[in-house]
Amino acid sequence: MKNRLKVLRAERDWSQADLAERLEVSRQTVNAIETGRYDPSLPLAFRLAEVFETTIEAIFEPDG
Amino acid sequence: MTPETIDSPNLRRNTIALGITWFVAYWCARAVLENPDLAVGLKVAAALIPVPIFALFLVLFIRLIRTMDELERRIQLEALAIAYPLAVLLLMTLGLLQRAVHLKFEDWSYAHVWVYVVMFYFLSIPWVARRYQ
Repeated sequence: MKNRLKVLRAERDWSQADLAERLEVSRQTVNAIETGRYDPSLPLAFRLAEVFETTIEAIFEPDG
Repeated sequence: MTPETIDSPNLRRNTIALGITWFVAYWCARAVLENPDLAVGLKVAAALIPVPIFALFLVLFIRLIRTMDELERRIQLEALAIAYPLAVLLLMTLGLLQRAVHLKFEDWSYAHVWVYVVMFYFLSIPWVARRYQ
């Protein structure tokens, strides 16, 4: 699954650690999601959308 | 998601410390049990000393798992999913080999083999974690 996490984070000038703190997850988890190595659960995807004040569809899109 | 609390370094440190304490207690018990002159009651007591320490370790370990986020829990689960079949493979192979040839009890009994099961789990964790880095 592709995502715009890095772009959204850069727009707000947040580090991975900043985002991890807001999401209450580890920095490794943020990095794994950002690099597409891990697809988050639905609750975490909703939390991401909430933190970035957008929708899940605006953050994630399916491959291909 | 929703870990009960943010990952606590103290909890992690205490869990590791208790794990080491249990491991030391186990080997001390093993050393004490080597003494053939010891009374049976003392031998049983020595054999049971590591049990409450491990029980306490388990309580802390479960608490630690509950503080982990979803990716960390997934890594633990995948590590177990690798370690468990490896343990089954080891025990099955030893069981079959025991029927084929004589394996020395001192080297290949359950008293020794369980250490490999723990080792499989702890080796699997960094191996699985690497996939998500």
